[in-house]
Amino acid sequence: MRILLVEDDRKTSEYVAKGFAEAGHSCDVLGDGRDGLFQAQRESYDVLVVDRMLPGLDGLSIVRSLRAARVGTPALFLTSVGGVDDRVEGLEAGGDDYLVKPFAFSELLARVNALARRPPVQEQKTVLKVADLELDLIRREARRAGQVIELQPREFTLLEVLMRGEGRVMTKTMLLERVWDFHFDPKTSVVETHVSRLRAKIDKPFQAQLLHTVRNTGYSLHAPR
Amino acid sequence: MRLASLRHSTPFRLALTFGVLFIVTFIVSGAVMYHMLSAGLARQMDASLHEMNSVIASTYAPDDMEDLVATLNSYVNLQTTKDGLYSLVDPKGVRLAGNFTAIRMRPGIYTIKPEDIGLPGSGRFRIEVTQLGPNMLVVGESFSDMDDLLRIVLVSLGWAAVLVVVAALGGGIFLAARAQHRLDAVARTMLDVSNGRLDSRIPLQGRSDDLDRVGMQINSALDRLSGMVEGMRQVSADIAHELKTPLNRLKMTLDDAIRGAARGRDVGQLLADARAESNQINATFEALLRISQIEAGARRQRFQNVDLTEILTFVEEVYASVAEDNGQALNLLPSPIAAFQVQGDKELLTQMVVNLVENAINHCPPGTRIDMSLVSAHAEIVLRVADNGPGVPAEERDKVFRRLYRLDKSRTTPGSGLGLSLVRAIADLHSAHIGLADNAPGLAVTVSFQSV
Repeated sequence: MRILLVEDDRKTSEYVAKGFAEAGHSCDVLGDGRDGLFQAQRESYDVLVVDRMLPGLDGLSIVRSLRAARVGTPALFLTSVGGVDDRVEGLEAGGDDYLVKPFAFSELLARVNALARRPPVQEQKTVLKVADLELDLIRREARRAGQVIELQPREFTLLEVLMRGEGRVMTKTMLLERVWDFHFDPKTSVVETHVSRLRAKIDKPFQAQLLHTVRNTGYSLHAPR
Repeated sequence: MRLASLRHSTPFRLALTFGVLFIVTFIVSGAVMYHMLSAGLARQMDASLHEMNSVIASTYAPDDMEDLVATLNSYVNLQTTKDGLYSLVDPKGVRLAGNFTAIRMRPGIYTIKPEDIGLPGSGRFRIEVTQLGPNMLVVGESFSDMDDLLRIVLVSLGWAAVLVVVAALGGGIFLAARAQHRLDAVARTMLDVSNGRLDSRIPLQGRSDDLDRVGMQINSALDRLSGMVEGMRQVSADIAHELKTPLNRLKMTLDDAIRGAARGRDVGQLLADARAESNQINATFEALLRISQIEAGARRQRFQNVDLTEILTFVEEVYASVAEDNGQALNLLPSPIAAFQVQGDKELLTQMVVNLVENAINHCPPGTRIDMSLVSAHAEIVLRVADNGPGVPAEERDKVFRRLYRLDKSRTTPGSGLGLSLVRAIADLHSAHIGLADNAPGLAVTVSFQSV
């Protein structure tokens, strides 16, 4: 996957570019906002990772200009201030995701993966399927191996998010944002508790495990390999 | 006070402007009065002249001049001063009676000088000329009486003007100086404050006038400001102190790792510890930033109607199982009222309730019961999170809201000491009052909102 990183802090950009390279992605790095905007328009990238504060042109303006020029490349903001207002500003400018510095590389990688593989046009799927697990979005019903599984409404959302991200790592923070709309770090094991309850319902009674824990990062739902 | 500084003083300028305005008004109204008085006097003079003329003329009969001559001469003799002019001349210009010989003039009223009619002397006269048969009657009066009167009026106006100027300027300067003196006190105080003496206050006169009110407002703003500065000083000292410990731990762990690596040992665990430590430091900074952003108050612009019942229901849904896994029970007590609306930020209010519930979960042993409830009382909505855990000693209840304050001095329970500070900041943003009480046993936190 081709990633454009616009970041003026050398240490950060080296660290991130090295990580992307190790994960098998190619990553171009630019330190100036204007160069970043120019490059993003000239070449075709799968994902843009843009720092909010940049010399030349700030990240918000880069993404705003790109969207005005009808460049729809998914963009992720790196921000050092994670206030809600900054987050909302970033999303309103046309960003697709945001990540507050300092961040763990695994978190960034998970988010970039989720962005890149997001289908360009959201298909109106009404039934999600992973192996023998089915989620009917219309009837709000989960079934595995033909057996109906009773889910609480929030468990249903959790499973839906995990199934939509099939095969990808969903970090705890991503789940907190997407399932519970929490934009802060809880001091208790909220995610673990709910994931383990979900697992008890969808995995425990069956042979093959679908919901996997990715150590130090998050969770991933995929068919047994 | 020096004149140069007076020139730039608002009270003095005001006083000067009003003084000048007052003086100009006085002069204009004096001029109008003088003009009207002299016009009135002139009309009156004409009227009396005409009346005298009529009286004299009425004694005239075409065949008998005796009465007329006698009347005219008696007027001449009766007058006390030499101000009257009386003359009756025949067609040939010969004086028949009176005190001067008039030259021939057309009938009418004139203002003349003595030499115009061939008389010595000065001044001006008003004369009325009437034709009585072939003869001409001239009756006149000097302006000197009227001029005397007008001169007196003018002189008194002049003296009054002097008094007015002195009073307006003197009084203005006196009042301006007094106001300036008080403004100078305000300026001195502000200078003191900007020089770092935050306890300096504006002296008040106790008259509750406008300057006193402004002074009181500035003083109370200074009170708040110095409180905040003191708080900030306290907080930065706390932060520096609090972060030294984990930074030191981080440094020691890294030292260990470096030493271990030099001896070829596996340092993976040490590095993981170091990362965990730095994550904790980051989380502390993140929380501090968040608190200060909330305290900045910008989010108040995005307030909407928020239903607190909805938030509590959501928190119960998310945290009941977390509490259960912890051997505790989280309940939302039923309320007779369906909705509790307040003006607020839903995300922040959710975080506030989450913090309170997580606090209870983290600081209470298994078997604890945590109850959330909403009641409406005295135009207030009271949100309550209560547990029957160990509680908070009464003397500690104020301190737990301080940033980085930890009840658990050994720091065995998770937390950064910022959870309740954040709760406080969110409550303050919503103008809600927060209180800690003894739940006998346990702790009850109440957040009282003003109802919409």
